[in-house]
Amino acid sequence: MFEVFKKEVRELLRDKKTLLFVVALPVLIFPILFGLMGFLMSQASLEAEQKVHVYAITGSQYAPEFAEKVKFHKSFKLSEVKYETIDEMKAAVRAGDLDVGILIPNDARTTLSQGIQSDWKVVFNDASALNFIYKRVNDAMKSFSEILQAEKFEQLGVTKEESIALLNPIKIEKIDTADKRENLGEKLGAFIPYLLIPLVLAGASYPAIDLGAGEKERGTLETLLLTPVTRTELVLGKFFTVLASSLATAFITVVSMGFWVSVAGNFVDAKIITEVMGTIGIVDLSLILLMLVPLAGIFSSLVLAISIYARTFKEAQNYMGPLSMVAFMPLLVAMMPNMELTMNTAMIPITNVALAIKELIKGTVDYSMVGMIFAATLVLAGVLMSFCVHWFKKESVLFR
Amino acid sequence: MIEVSGLKKRFKLTKDHKIDKQQSIDPRQDTDYFHSVRDVSFHCNKGEVLGLLGPNGAGKTTTLRMLSTALLPDQGLIKINGVDVVKDPLLARKKIGFLSGSTGLYGRLTAKENIEYFGKLHGMNKKVLKNRTEELFEMLDMNSFVHKRAEHLSTGMKQKTNIARAVVHGPEVVVLDEPTTGLDIMTTQTVIKFIQDLKSQGTPVIFSTHHLDEIDLLCERVSVINEGISCFNGTLSQFRETGNSQILNEAFLNILQEQSNV
Repeated sequence: MFEVFKKEVRELLRDKKTLLFVVALPVLIFPILFGLMGFLMSQASLEAEQKVHVYAITGSQYAPEFAEKVKFHKSFKLSEVKYETIDEMKAAVRAGDLDVGILIPNDARTTLSQGIQSDWKVVFNDASALNFIYKRVNDAMKSFSEILQAEKFEQLGVTKEESIALLNPIKIEKIDTADKRENLGEKLGAFIPYLLIPLVLAGASYPAIDLGAGEKERGTLETLLLTPVTRTELVLGKFFTVLASSLATAFITVVSMGFWVSVAGNFVDAKIITEVMGTIGIVDLSLILLMLVPLAGIFSSLVLAISIYARTFKEAQNYMGPLSMVAFMPLLVAMMPNMELTMNTAMIPITNVALAIKELIKGTVDYSMVGMIFAATLVLAGVLMSFCVHWFKKESVLFR
Repeated sequence: MIEVSGLKKRFKLTKDHKIDKQQSIDPRQDTDYFHSVRDVSFHCNKGEVLGLLGPNGAGKTTTLRMLSTALLPDQGLIKINGVDVVKDPLLARKKIGFLSGSTGLYGRLTAKENIEYFGKLHGMNKKVLKNRTEELFEMLDMNSFVHKRAEHLSTGMKQKTNIARAVVHGPEVVVLDEPTTGLDIMTTQTVIKFIQDLKSQGTPVIFSTHHLDEIDLLCERVSVINEGISCFNGTLSQFRETGNSQILNEAFLNILQEQSNV
């Protein structure tokens, strides 16, 4: 078995594609991709934030103080074209001539002075994810509303303190028991398994295809079967190679992420992230990696079994697509809001590991639960590995 | 000595094959199974090359796969120098050297590494393996390319590497399944010389081929398989006699025709 393992590892290390998946992808390509994504997103956000919106107000004479506020706002520019109706404004927004149209009804002055709510209309395109128009109009309107409220309270003889109590009868002071680690862990904790676990699968997939279907296609499998080595030993040699590749990918990713976070910390204000990462501790970090071992075992068994069954490299690749979906679904479950690690969720394979990693990052983990998940995942990996061995002994699989 | 008697092997039909069955006139196919090998027997003595003949799909490769322990027979007996391959496949594998025309090599390993890998899998120790590989490199004139990766070797170099790989452990018997298919004249010559060397060393060789000139050149005896059944076993002169022709191709076709009529 060791000879098979040694030879497979040697061959894999000489394969450029494997090196790309196992080493280059986590070390270089991910930081480049994430860096590029971050840069483009920040550029788009900056652009949206700095954008000056062309606006038009119909009925500005009924709320001149509001019209004045918008006119002097740095993010708004008055349209040279006058619009009379809401339909004209809609058409102009659709044509791109106008960013936002505000329609103030002609009874605004009367209704506001009588203390009746006034109905205003704001026309804009809300399709863009990075849209500041509505927020800005709302801000201007809020400050105008506050002036109106203050005038009204003054007329009614209500003091400033009383008006505050009237508007917000209850004042809440937020006392958060969650520390920085728990807070950030809740947000980052779901993201990290989502990145790590598919990498564990990717790290296993390519070598598995090469070691199973690849051997069949090259015509080397039959020769291997004729050596005085049991089929159990042969498949275990291959299994441990796939497992090693899978874990190497995860390990390199974790190290690479740590390195790039520390590098990024020197250039951008990521003090909170580096602080939180610093509090995770070596035990929890080791546990995160340890949780990935049986999971890598599950993935390695599955991809190797599929690869052994496939007749060609291409056929094996076709089967890997649906398998990725199977791996992603439990991950999506783990990412759902309010999804906690309980006795029930601890029974769902992959979801349980993702949730345990999240809890470990948050620092709120129940270690007995982690132990249970580790044992359960290990048992499942063992069962699947036995299936893989059994699969490798079947003539109908090897000689399809 | 290699002894094969009453060999049978069937394969379960897949859904697709069952549909084909409705149009098939192959007598080996029934409702659920394809009877690839129905009754095959032959033997090969020490220092003898047995030519295994048969049309495509006759069951030659399945027979040789059972002989080499890759497939398990449903019925029948296979013995390699007295070792039952079904009862003790690991011991039998130590005694067999197997080579086919479609056998591949590990492209990212050098020719030497490919050969050494199989030597190690056969349990050879470092010193013995070193001596044996050096002997094979010399014998097959491989020294100029042993350190080249297999993916960069020519077809001829690859086949020499394959030959060395197949016999690195010094097998007692050698099984060759169409080893010259698709090879050029030069490489074919290397394979033929290799078989002649084995023969002179007293190693029994089973040699499956479609090239009857190679049979004429190498074999003492011939076994013909048609539709999964042994339809001839005998010497070359008996083969010509049974086939009513001195020309081997004609004799072969006549034997097949006669069996089909039966």
